[in-house]
Amino acid sequence: MIEVLGLKKMFNEFIAVDNLSFQVNPGEIYGLLGPNGSGKSTTMRMLLGLLKPTEGTAKVMGFDIRDEIVEAKRMMGYVPEEPVLPQRLTGWEYANYVSDIWRIPRGPEREEELDELLTLLDIKDASDDLIETYSKGMSRKTSLVAALIHQPKVLILDEVQAGIDPRGAATVKEILNGLRAKGATILMSTHVLEIAEQLCDRIGIINEGRMVAEGSMADLRLQAKGEKSLEEIFLSLTGGPDMQKIAEYLGDVK
Amino acid sequence: MTLNDLWVLLRQDLAQSFRVSGAKGKRTEQRSTLRRLFLPIGAVLFAVVIILGLAWVVPRIGWEILDTLLTENIGTGSSLFNILLLFSFIGSIMISATTVGNSSRMEYLMTMPLSLRTLFLEKTIIVILYSSAFFLVIGTPIFIGLSIVSNAPLAFLSIPTFLGMMVVLSTLGVSIGGLLGLLFSRILAGRRRLKQAGWFIGTSLTVLVSALYYYFIFLSDGFGDILPWLGDILAALGFTSGISPGAATSALSLGFLVGEPIIINDVFLAFLYGALAIVLVNLNAYVSETAHYSGWLASGSKRTSKTKTPVVHDIWDPQTIPGFKFNTAVSVSVWYNITNIRREGRVLAQYLIGPLRFIVIIIFGMFAGGDLLMGFTPFIVIAITVPFVVSYAVSFAGYELVYEGKNLMNLQLAPLSMYDYVIGKVYSSAPFALVVSVGTSVLVSVLAPSLLVYVPAVILSAVFINQAAGGIAANAAAMGGDFKAERIVTRQRGASVQMPIRGWSILRAQLFPNMLGFAGLTAVLGLGQLLGPLFTYLALVPFGLICLSLSRRYARSAGIKLTEKEASDYL
Ligand SMILES: Nc1ncnc2c1ncn2[C@@H]1O[C@H](COP(=O)(O)OP(=O)(O)OP(=O)(O)O)[C@@H](O)[C@H]1O
Ligand SMILES: [Mg+2]
Repeated sequence: MIEVLGLKKMFNEFIAVDNLSFQVNPGEIYGLLGPNGSGKSTTMRMLLGLLKPTEGTAKVMGFDIRDEIVEAKRMMGYVPEEPVLPQRLTGWEYANYVSDIWRIPRGPEREEELDELLTLLDIKDASDDLIETYSKGMSRKTSLVAALIHQPKVLILDEVQAGIDPRGAATVKEILNGLRAKGATILMSTHVLEIAEQLCDRIGIINEGRMVAEGSMADLRLQAKGEKSLEEIFLSLTGGPDMQKIAEYLGDVK
Repeated sequence: MTLNDLWVLLRQDLAQSFRVSGAKGKRTEQRSTLRRLFLPIGAVLFAVVIILGLAWVVPRIGWEILDTLLTENIGTGSSLFNILLLFSFIGSIMISATTVGNSSRMEYLMTMPLSLRTLFLEKTIIVILYSSAFFLVIGTPIFIGLSIVSNAPLAFLSIPTFLGMMVVLSTLGVSIGGLLGLLFSRILAGRRRLKQAGWFIGTSLTVLVSALYYYFIFLSDGFGDILPWLGDILAALGFTSGISPGAATSALSLGFLVGEPIIINDVFLAFLYGALAIVLVNLNAYVSETAHYSGWLASGSKRTSKTKTPVVHDIWDPQTIPGFKFNTAVSVSVWYNITNIRREGRVLAQYLIGPLRFIVIIIFGMFAGGDLLMGFTPFIVIAITVPFVVSYAVSFAGYELVYEGKNLMNLQLAPLSMYDYVIGKVYSSAPFALVVSVGTSVLVSVLAPSLLVYVPAVILSAVFINQAAGGIAANAAAMGGDFKAERIVTRQRGASVQMPIRGWSILRAQLFPNMLGFAGLTAVLGLGQLLGPLFTYLALVPFGLICLSLSRRYARSAGIKLTEKEASDYL
C-alpha cells in the first residue's frame, strides 16, 4: 500500500513535483503516465527515500517516508529507469552482491531462487559474463532480478519494459500479474500506453508535476467525455503534436 | 586534419573546464561567480603575491646574492626540470589518449566529421595542458618577479622561455608515457588475466627503471660516471650542463635571468626537443587512432558466444581476507572493492604504483643531502612505508567510495549498515598495506640487521596507520566526493580532468593521515631507540588503539553522510 500525501519536490527554483497525492492499494497495479520531465521518476525516488521531499510526505505499508524510511525501504523493490549496474561484475556476482547487501542468508536456497529468476528472464546463459558486455535489455532484466530478490511487498518500476524483447515483456507481464494476485502493491511508469491499458488497474496522468487525471480506464473515459483510446485521452490532457510546426519543418527539409 | 578542427575541439574542452558564466536555467544550482572562479582567482592572487613579494624582497637583500645563487645552481635547475619531465612521464603511462577516447561521452564526438587523429591529438594536448598547469601557475610568477628585479638586459626573455620549455617538457613526458601505455595495451590486448598482473609489473618496472636512470644519468655529475666517453664528446661539442631536456630548459631560462651568455648549442637543443615533442605528440595521436580501431583497448572481456552448456555456479561464499571472519555486509564490501579494482588492470597498477613517486622525492632529498643523510637510509626506507599505506587507504577507501557512484542507490535502498560497507572498503586496503610494509621491512633488515627486532612493530604500525587513513579518507570522500565522476584512469568527465575528491577534502584525506603516520612511527621507533625495543612494543598498544578508533569514528561519520546523500548527487 502506497499513500502519497501532497508530495512536492523542488530542484533549486524548479518545481518538479507539485502537491501530488494518490494511493496504490495492495493487489493493484497503478500506472503513472506523463510526458518527459513531468516528474514520474522524481516521485518514485522520493517514495524510495532517494530524494528528500520539499513538502508533503508519503506512507509505504504504513511507514512514513520521512521518519520511518528504513522500515519503508525494507518493503520496496525498485527498477530504476537507467539500470544501475557495476560493469565489472558478472550477472551472477551482481545478483549475489545484491542479495548480500539485502542480507538474504547465503546458501543453496538463495541460489536456487536466483537461478530460477535468471532462467525465467533468459539471462542465465550470460550470468558468467561481465555486465559491461550486456545488451540494453539484458541489463534491464538483471536490474529486475535485483529488485525481486528480496520478495518485496511493494514494487516500484520505472519504465521496466523499455528495451525488453517481446518474450521478456510477456514474462514480465505474467510475473507482475502473479504478484498482484498475491497482494503486491505495484507502482509503474511507462510511455507505452498499451502496456498501461492492459496491465494497470488504475492510471494517474501527471503533467508538469501535477495530477491531471486519475482512475481506471473506465473512469478516464468518463472524465474525458468522448475520447475513446488512452492515447486520445492522454494527448488531450497533456497536449498532442503540433501538426502545423511539423508541417513547417518538413517543408524546410530538402 | 585541420588546425581549425583542433581549435574547435580545444575551445570546447577548455570552455567546459573554465566555464565563466553559469547556466541560467531554473533547475541548475546557481553558484556565485566567486565560487566558480575560485581556482583562477587563487592563481592570480598567488601570482600577485609572489611577484610583489619578489620585487620587494630582492632589492633589499641585493640582486647579486640571488644572481650568484642562480648561476651556481643551473645544474640543480636541470635536475629539477628533469624531475618534472619524469613525473609527467610516470603519470601518463596509464593515461593514454585512447583511454580518453574510450569514454562513452566521446562517442558523439567520434561520429562527427573529424578525423579521429585530430580528436586524439586534442585529448593529448588537454592532458598535457593539465599536467603542466600546476607548474606553470607556480613557476610563471616566480620568473616574472625575478625578471623584474634582475639587472640582466634580456631577463624578461626567461618568461616565455620558461613557459615554452615547460610545455615541451610536459609534452615529451606525456607523449612518451602515453606511447608506453599504448605498447602495454598492445601486448596485453585480449588477455584478461595477464592484464591484471601485466599493468602492475609493467608500470612498476617502468617507474623504477626510469627513476634509477634519472639518478644515475641526470643527477650524478653529468654522464661522467657511467659513460665517460659520452661526457668527453659533449664537452668537446660545447655543452656545459648536459644535453637533457631539463638542462636545456635550465640553461636557457636561468641563463636569460642572470645574464649568462647563451650558448647557441643550448638554443639548438631546445628547438630540437621542441620538434621532438611535436613529432611525439602526433605519433601518440596516430597510434591512438590505430589502437582504437584495432580494439586493443577493449576491456578484454569479449562476450563468450551463447554457450549451450548449462551454466553452473559454485555456492556463493567469496573469500575476502584470509583468516578473518566478517559479517555479510563487510565481507561483500571487501569482496566488491577488491574484485572491481582487480578487474581493471590499469587502475590496480595506478593505485599500487602511484606512491612510488613519493620515493622519487624522498630519495631525491637523500641524494641531495649526501653522506650526512645516507646513514639514515634504513629509517628513510621505514618512512617510505607511511605515504604508501596512506595512499592505499586513499585509493581503496576514498576514491573507490566515490566511484561507487550510481551504485550508492543500491546501498541506500538495502537495509544495510552503511558503516559496515564503508569499513569493508577500509579493510580492503589492509592486505596491500601489509605486503608493502613486509617489503620495506625486509629491505630494512638487509640494510641494517640491528633493526630486525623492530620489524613486527613497523608492520603493525603500517597496518594501523593504513586503517586510520582509510577511515579518514572515506569520510573525506563522503564529504567532498564527486559521485558523478567516472572511474576511468584519466578521471575524465566530459572533457575536464577531475579529481574524484574535491577541494579541501582531498587535503584532509592526504595530509592528516601522513602526519599521523610519520609522528606515530617516529614516536614508536624513537622510544625503542632511546629506551629499548620493549618500549616500542609498549607504545604500539596505545598507538594502535588510537588509529583503530580514528578509523571507526571516521568510517561511521562517512556512513551517516552517505546515507543522507540525495540521489541527485550521484544518479
Ligand atoms: N537532479 C536534478 N536536478 C535538477 N532538475 C532535475 C533533476 N532531476 C530531475 N529534474 C527535473 O525534474 C523534472 C522531472 O524529472 P523526472 O525525471 O521525474 O521526469 P520523468 O517524468 O521521469 O520524465 P521521463 O519520462 O523523461 O523519464 C524534469 O523537468 C527534470 O529536468
Ligand atoms: Mg523518468
